[in-house]
Amino acid sequence: MVLEATMICIDNSEWMRNGDYSPSRFQAQADAVSLICGAKTQSNPENTVGILTMAGKGVRVLATPTSDLGKILSCMHGLEMGGETNLAAGILIAQLALKHRQNKNQQQRIIVFAGSPIKHERKALEIIGKKLKKNSVALDIVNFGEEEDGKPEKLEALLGSVNNNDTSHMVHVPPGQNALSDVLISTPVFTGDGEGGSGFAAAAAAAAAAGGVSDFDFGVDPNIDPELALALRVSMEEERARQEAAAKKAAEEAQPQSESQNATSTATEKVSDPMDEDDLLKQAVALSMNIPGSDSSAGDAQMSEATNDDQELALALQMSMQDGSKDSSAPSDVSKVLGDQSFMSSILSSLPGVDPNDPNVKDLLASLLGQSEPQEKKDEDEQPKDDK
Amino acid sequence: MSAAESANAIQRNQVDLLDFIDWSGVECLNQSSSHSLSNALKQGYREDEGLNLESDADEQLLIYIPFTQVIKLHSIVVMGSEEDGPKTVKLFANREHMGFSNVSDFPPSDTAVLSPDNLKGKPVVLKYVKFQNVRSLTIFIEDNQSGSEITKVQKIALYGSTVETTDMKGLKKIEDH
Repeated sequence: MVLEATMICIDNSEWMRNGDYSPSRFQAQADAVSLICGAKTQSNPENTVGILTMAGKGVRVLATPTSDLGKILSCMHGLEMGGETNLAAGILIAQLALKHRQNKNQQQRIIVFAGSPIKHERKALEIIGKKLKKNSVALDIVNFGEEEDGKPEKLEALLGSVNNNDTSHMVHVPPGQNALSDVLISTPVFTGDGEGGSGFAAAAAAAAAAGGVSDFDFGVDPNIDPELALALRVSMEEERARQEAAAKKAAEEAQPQSESQNATSTATEKVSDPMDEDDLLKQAVALSMNIPGSDSSAGDAQMSEATNDDQELALALQMSMQDGSKDSSAPSDVSKVLGDQSFMSSILSSLPGVDPNDPNVKDLLASLLGQSEPQEKKDEDEQPKDDK
Repeated sequence: MSAAESANAIQRNQVDLLDFIDWSGVECLNQSSSHSLSNALKQGYREDEGLNLESDADEQLLIYIPFTQVIKLHSIVVMGSEEDGPKTVKLFANREHMGFSNVSDFPPSDTAVLSPDNLKGKPVVLKYVKFQNVRSLTIFIEDNQSGSEITKVQKIALYGSTVETTDMKGLKKIEDH
């Protein structure tokens, strides 16, 4: 999302009549230009783009850098081909147009479509490149169309003299099946310098090529819209947390059944259960243990606080009581559950492995990694000793 | 004599304006990316003789320094080597966003031709009257001592004083009783 002012230099010489890019070189170029304009303005709303033509009667600026996409696209209509491209003049006039941009904080960039033979000498191009580098203007060259001896070398020399820290790029597009714009989408011309792609380019690429190019989770580029991306991420996490809590509640409803089994079954029964119980217990106890403090009464109060925070856990507890055969005094609303301390302690003790005496609870926490069997057995043994 | 004068002036009431530079707006055109302006301006880097600001495509450099408040500029120190150090230095006060193409469009507030003494650290006293109300300073290094392709600057220090402006941090809210 670099703030940038771009000048696009279009080659509208006679060489553009050729049909080796479909439908014609000129049309392919025009499509590519429209895509670039869209990508630039979308990646940062304050970006500006301008257009000039290099051939015809002479270099002509069609649009000075503006962020109005409509104006840019409309000036592309009705362009005529003819004459010879004056590359040097085109680049220099583009630099002049950029110098007079309204927002001086924008980085300067020139994109040149070099489709016809270059009549300038290498030396002259290098001097131009140095001048651009001195004024910190970046240059992107699209080499397509006419292939001529020495053209790639001249363009390489130009790129080399301009390039400062890889801000300038060159792309070769050979004629063939793929449209010019499709090839360009995946190049740094569209994607900028290591940004990973603008949303526009990603959408276009997804349409044109196989597979989504977008690297971003929610189809929103954090570069473009960080607040939106953050909001989406946060809401996704909340949703996930809510779903986990719902799953936990569902599992805890299943738990009373397993608990009643345990109350009457042998240790072998226990073996199959610890995994479910353990996870549930882990969550339930972790909630209560979140608030530091380690004696049982405090633990009860914390339990109630925790359930204040987590209505679903409270509901689960309530339901587990209703289903289970733990206590005769089974209050039916959540508020009573929260208020009744003795009840809470009895709930805690009824959960196998959880003790009002915290050392065991701590042991349970230590055994969360799945080594619960010996612990649970020990707790089973101790449980008859506990007051219910 | 003048060296002693300028040294005294610096001691008297001129301070190093390093603290008043607005770093977010500092720019340098035609600097080499590995040898950037920080090497010449920033505390610590500028004392290191191995770290220089170097020019890139040719020997000219255009440095733009905005300040956080209005200052008066008294003198500058430009240090460099005898061969590659800067020679002609033009200073423009309060001109934003200059480019190499418009340095000749208006006359500089002051011009300094650096002697070898200056390059060793002797301050150049400027026309104080031209720099009474400076919000930003543009330093244009036009050429270097030996005419080589690359100009190397080891240190740039600005000395002056601040115009009395409100220190916003010092403003305290009146306590409600």
